Amino acid sequence: MKFLIKTNSLTHCYRSGTKDEVKALDNVSMEIHQGEILAITGQNGSGKSTLARHFNALLLPSKGEVSVKGLSTSNKQNIPLIRKIIGMVFQNPDNQLVTSLVEEDIAFGPENLGLPQPEIIERVNWALHTMGLQELRRENPHSLSEGQKQKVAIAGVLAMKPECIILDEPTAHLDPRGRREVLESILQLNREENITIVLLTHFMNEVIHCDRMLVMDNGSIKIAGSPCDLFQNGENLKKSGLELPVASKIAEGLRQEGFNIKPNIINMEDLVESICQLK
Amino acid sequence: MPIEVIDLNHSFKEGTPFEKQVLFDISLSIAEGEFVGIIGPTRAGKTTLAQHFNALHIPHKGKVLVDGWDTSNKKTDLMTIRHRVGYVFQNPEYQLFAPTVGADIAFGPGNQQLSREEIDKRVREAMALVGLDYNIFYDRDIFALSGGQKRRAAIAGVLACKPKVLVLDDITAGLDPRGREEILAVIQNLHNSQNITIVFISNSMDEVATVAQRIIVINNGKIFMDGSTREVFSRFNELRSIGLELPEVTVFIDKLKDAGFNLPDGILSVNEALLSITATLREMEGSR
Amino acid sequence: MELTKNITLGVYLPGKSKIHNLDPRTKILAVTLIIILLLLSRSYVAFAFSAIFIGALVIISGIPAGYALRGLKPMLPVLVIMWFFQLFLFKSPGATVYFNWWIFEATAAGLHMGNLIILRVLFLFIVTTFLTLTTSVVNLTDGLESLLKPLRMIGLPSQELVMTLVIALRFVLILAEELEKIMKAQMARGVAFDRGNFIQKTKKIFPVFLPLFIGAFKRAEELIVAMDARSYTGGKGRTKMKTLQMSNADFSAAAIMLIYSGIIITTIIFTPPMI
Repeated sequence: MKFLIKTNSLTHCYRSGTKDEVKALDNVSMEIHQGEILAITGQNGSGKSTLARHFNALLLPSKGEVSVKGLSTSNKQNIPLIRKIIGMVFQNPDNQLVTSLVEEDIAFGPENLGLPQPEIIERVNWALHTMGLQELRRENPHSLSEGQKQKVAIAGVLAMKPECIILDEPTAHLDPRGRREVLESILQLNREENITIVLLTHFMNEVIHCDRMLVMDNGSIKIAGSPCDLFQNGENLKKSGLELPVASKIAEGLRQEGFNIKPNIINMEDLVESICQLK
Repeated sequence: MPIEVIDLNHSFKEGTPFEKQVLFDISLSIAEGEFVGIIGPTRAGKTTLAQHFNALHIPHKGKVLVDGWDTSNKKTDLMTIRHRVGYVFQNPEYQLFAPTVGADIAFGPGNQQLSREEIDKRVREAMALVGLDYNIFYDRDIFALSGGQKRRAAIAGVLACKPKVLVLDDITAGLDPRGREEILAVIQNLHNSQNITIVFISNSMDEVATVAQRIIVINNGKIFMDGSTREVFSRFNELRSIGLELPEVTVFIDKLKDAGFNLPDGILSVNEALLSITATLREMEGSR
Repeated sequence: MELTKNITLGVYLPGKSKIHNLDPRTKILAVTLIIILLLLSRSYVAFAFSAIFIGALVIISGIPAGYALRGLKPMLPVLVIMWFFQLFLFKSPGATVYFNWWIFEATAAGLHMGNLIILRVLFLFIVTTFLTLTTSVVNLTDGLESLLKPLRMIGLPSQELVMTLVIALRFVLILAEELEKIMKAQMARGVAFDRGNFIQKTKKIFPVFLPLFIGAFKRAEELIVAMDARSYTGGKGRTKMKTLQMSNADFSAAAIMLIYSGIIITTIIFTPPMI
């Protein structure tokens, strides 16, 4: 499998050289594979955002190296190309939408790339269509629900045709319906457009849809693996301030009661199936 | 009755071309010591309704009574009402303004013309209630706090006003699981040990299901349901019809029922689910 | 409490009238021309003609007149004070004196000067509000960008300036909402903004603006990062999705503006000035 992003002994210090120096990342080495959905979890302040902002050169390593398709982010000349390959969506949609009209906002990225007018129009239409936002194209983002705003933000990144989208807690401020809609769009982008997804989140019911997960704690990667494997060992996750998905909790409880529940259960469907086999 | 709402109607931007009615004929009452959850889709009117409880909104039509005081009566002192009903906003940490934790918490009681000793006593009590150590945090710079600590400081700032009713408007949004657990524990303790009436607005059904005793569902500015937590969450088809998601555990139990298991209605927590599934499975084993 | 209710400057009222559909550049140029003519007008007759003309525009646009004037409400006290200032303090030798006390002297010249200033402020406000009520923010900024483009040659960073305006306009409503929330949070903790004397009231503002500014800076910082991530590097090398196009309606509007300007200039020359 090909690596899209690779970090090598990445260390990052904020306010470096002053007495308030804070080491936010400590010797992190990891890879992101082309086409995968990777979840990065961990408590607030564990370093997830700092790590993610190295992937598109918003932050540069204090030590170590980050490369995107072999291009090092430390080389200034690579940055425009890296930002074209890697798109980023942030937590608060209100702080990332630039204009007062949905379609104009989606055009903002392609306009920055200096694309010819017909291509901008085509890309905006495509992004609106892919995210199911056609009806909202003439709206002011201010009048949309938080979930819709976040979808506009994703469409704005999508219109730049990135190979990978990083989403930094995109659902943290959404209601359950907005959360589900945004998650579904993200999964669909991975499935249908083959876009690599890096999802930073606290919600375990989002992590269970991912191929792989990393747990960050105190600036380094504590645990890495598939959600199925990691949710078998709840204690490790709890130490990093995380909780198990509901299905894993119930499965674990039933096992302790002596019932024969299949291992590796992380979602409700599998749990129901496994309980039915006990009938 | 701490809060009584009678035929309340409310419109935004009244008298402009953008006028929009957001609350329609709402009547409800909240009794002393209740823990009421308010849920509903985004922009259903939950916040607008709750801001009537402490006279941040004054009814244009209908009445809101707080301990019998009519908020739309010109003679009512709104400050008295706001002391009785505390309100914690979403992301309350963004509203902190004093340089230190102690100064910010003392702001509310300071507005009540209390003696210095009384203010200090209240700050101590409020900090204890939210689990911030007075000796460590009193002089702490606001900017040196973590997100969860800031939020607890903000809640303490409202508690120091000694409210009888506390309205909490989506106060767990954006916290990580540990931070959320801590805040919920603080709230439950307030309710149990201080007998404060709690109005808890939330987008997280799992959270509401575990803490609230009664739930009011608001949809399109009207009361859609009002009943005990179990009762409300056992009517899932209706809840789904207005676009609400159910607590994960409730969805799971529903799926098991569809698969032919005989389980009780209104199961809300992981522990309850475990107990009843275990009981049912044991029963089936026994009858085999 | 609703802070956003009385903001009309910068608010767009969607509609399908002939005026809504004009090219934004036409509207910006027309409003600029009207403002210049208003500043040149010194006679009641000229203001009367302008009033009729602007009144007709408002009727054609279908905007409720009451709403167009609503934004004046908070300015009213200032206008009244300004009027009294002119009335009592503007002195002109030989003018009729109505009233005299200490250093105050109400003269005919002062009365007309007061009227002139009030009329100008009033008309300026109405005309600019009218422009934003009938033109969406996006059209307005597109129009401005297009009109300012030639100034790039003399080194004015017009695209960047317009982008700043675009962002500012987007954040006006967000910040107004935030201000409302912060004020409500303080009211909930016992602050009565409407009580006390001037100094006491001013003191209460501080705890409101501090979190507002901190919040605004935080937003600005996040926005910069987000724009950076979307490859924004300033106006250079940027292309646009939309280009503006003039139509026949715009040429008719230009003709109407020409006639209006002719009438006003004639009245300015041939009718007696107020003072």
